[in-house]
Amino acid sequence: MAAPAYWRSPFSIVKRLRISPSTQLQSRCQRAGLADISNNDQLKISPSNNTPETLTPEELEKLPVGLRNISQKVRDTVLSMPLPMSVQAAYLRPMRRPSTLGLPVCDLQLRSYSIRNLEFFADFALRAAYYLGLPAKGPVPLPRITERWTVPRSNFVHKKSQENFERITLRRLIQIQDGHPDVVQCWLGYLERRSYHGIGMKANVWEWEGLKVGKRMDEQAKQADQAIQDKWGNFGVRVNAATAEKMEKLLSGKAFSQQPRPMEAFIREPIEIKRG
Amino acid sequence: MAQFRANRLDLGCFINKFVIRDHTKRKVFTEYETERQALRYIIRNTTLPQRMRASAQLKLSQMHCYTRPTQIHNRCLMGGKGRGVFRDFRMARYQFRVNALEGNIPGVKKASW
Repeated sequence: MAAPAYWRSPFSIVKRLRISPSTQLQSRCQRAGLADISNNDQLKISPSNNTPETLTPEELEKLPVGLRNISQKVRDTVLSMPLPMSVQAAYLRPMRRPSTLGLPVCDLQLRSYSIRNLEFFADFALRAAYYLGLPAKGPVPLPRITERWTVPRSNFVHKKSQENFERITLRRLIQIQDGHPDVVQCWLGYLERRSYHGIGMKANVWEWEGLKVGKRMDEQAKQADQAIQDKWGNFGVRVNAATAEKMEKLLSGKAFSQQPRPMEAFIREPIEIKRG
Repeated sequence: MAQFRANRLDLGCFINKFVIRDHTKRKVFTEYETERQALRYIIRNTTLPQRMRASAQLKLSQMHCYTRPTQIHNRCLMGGKGRGVFRDFRMARYQFRVNALEGNIPGVKKASW
């Protein structure tokens, strides 16, 4: 998918452009929004040179269905139509919006064991952020987590012959700056909905508040309490647990209620001592 | 212990008597955990009468040994072994090796450095 390094280096001016080795017709068909033909590699027909009569039936069959029974002129027009901007953008590096204040709002960490999936999804997340209007920084490659295990090769004894295994977790960080909290939630929700296989996501979200936060939070807490009661009122309560009753019995028994406190005769309030 | 054991098998992994025993211990522990914690609280609370704390101690020590968390011991899911079990994979070392070589454990590869 990604172009190899020797392709990119000479073209520093068109750095955002991703060059992939493709045939002429393939790019043309894609330009016309007809990228769904599968065997592109065999097609090396340039339509401008060929009239409909010169196309052999085999060549015609290789064309997309919509392009077969039309005149050469129309076909040329269709094939030379420009790619829509949104589709063109898929071939370029993800676009970004500049941040105004630079206040971090959300840190999204992506983790995976597979670099391809990780890079792809980080790219996708950046595009999603752009189209939602969120300024995003990254993806920052965080240090890899390497875990290693050494186990004996055999199931019994023979400790001298062992084998090493490792699991390397790759991480990428995407930071959202100056985004509205709701939009950030929307972005995170979208990413979760479109989550990719083998990719774990972890987000730290920060919200920036004005003054008098405490009062507002108190009000919100009251509302949240009610909402929680409706759903989680019985959380942590076991139907068959008799512990509370047992403890009540134990505590209300003679041993607790009638006995004096230990060392009761010696208990006194502390006295303030003045030292000159 | 027989009085705690489930009448029907309620496990889906490798089965032997040790696995069943450990599973039973786990269930019994969760059932009695709150009670144990309450008794422990009474024992450690110095404002409670000494007699009561002593009786709580007695009660705690008389509870069945299956209610203790220390009885629980991780066992291999694939082979039921009790030693060399990786917490990360819940497998003993040999089963871990076999499964890693087959590629059943995500991300685990043979290492060489």
